[in-house]
Amino acid sequence: MQASLLLLVLILAGQGATPRTSDGHPDLTGMWNGGPARGLVIAKDDPFGAYLAARDGTLLNFERDNTIIRRMDPNKPLYKPEFWEKVQKFDQDGNTADPSFGCMPGGVPRMGPPAKIVQTSKELLFFYVSPPAQGWGDQYRIIPTDGREHTPLDQLDGTWKGESIGHWEGDTMVIDTIGFNDISWLDINGYFHSENMHVIERIRRDGDTLTWQATVEDPDVLIKPWTMNPRTVRLNADPKATLEESLPCVERDSSHLVNKEHH
Amino acid sequence: MKAILMLLVMALPVVAHHSVQAEFDLDKPITISGKVTKVEWINPHSYLYMDVNDDKGNVKHWSFEMAGPGALRRAGLSRSDRGGLKAGDMITVNGILAKDGSDFGLVKNVKLPDGRVFTIWTDDPNAK
Repeated sequence: MQASLLLLVLILAGQGATPRTSDGHPDLTGMWNGGPARGLVIAKDDPFGAYLAARDGTLLNFERDNTIIRRMDPNKPLYKPEFWEKVQKFDQDGNTADPSFGCMPGGVPRMGPPAKIVQTSKELLFFYVSPPAQGWGDQYRIIPTDGREHTPLDQLDGTWKGESIGHWEGDTMVIDTIGFNDISWLDINGYFHSENMHVIERIRRDGDTLTWQATVEDPDVLIKPWTMNPRTVRLNADPKATLEESLPCVERDSSHLVNKEHH
Repeated sequence: MKAILMLLVMALPVVAHHSVQAEFDLDKPITISGKVTKVEWINPHSYLYMDVNDDKGNVKHWSFEMAGPGALRRAGLSRSDRGGLKAGDMITVNGILAKDGSDFGLVKNVKLPDGRVFTIWTDDPNAK
């Protein structure tokens, strides 16, 4: 475990120089599907993951242990007390209540880091495919970085991805997003949000790794801003790498469910 | 083997979805042979439909949940014209039964007419 942590640190320190554009900013352009999108991967030889053996080697425990490990994460959004029952109910009913279960998009910030980025001097183009997009379908975001201001919130229709505007803070790309619907969740566990949510994503490239982290401000329902766990993705070095098309999502399980167990 | 593990693993923490045990009984294995009538390459799970003759000579319409289409591709199952599953194939499915008693199950592996076996998942999640 210590050895893999050390390896992780070495890899996070970056492999090679970070390429820069002609205006001096880090160039985020690339296919960022060169590795797992999250840390929790059961592979002994993957420095980005932990090896988590299922108790007794059963599939039953494999699923439940993963759920327990996820629930043990101390980094949770702190909801105002009047919403605690609502979060718990959503969580318990996740098999039907979670929009991701019903083939809906993930939305920002749940869709996480993109699988491909194209960076120009005026905008960023993000491309996502499911399932790493934490929702369904081929998704994209067009994020202006030309210094414009947000549209006033009361003139925005609430959407899954909102209105995103990016700017550089040193070598970190900071993406500010408002204008959400209140349908998407921040993550599994019933983590809902209001239409007044404000999301700040920070993206930093170090060599061949990209680190993404989002902070959620939602004073309507949260006691304080929630900074989600960072996710690190790797550059896909294959020059011919492509994104697989996300085939249509059709939910066929609901009618067969006999209990509320979910991940 | 690693690819198979990875698809299971990828399916778990990444996608919000029900657990296997919310829908299927891990203690009720089934092996069934029949003729493929339809294969649906869709998310979040692909589906396999087959007609099965029971011991009284009646045709029963079975359906099976498989992994997601990306995972099936990684497991080696490809388009029908490249030798993958297609309507009309006589196949044998190993899997587990749905808990709701319907003619429905979850595929563990599929044996194709030419003897090829595609394994979607195995019993031991710790196996390498």
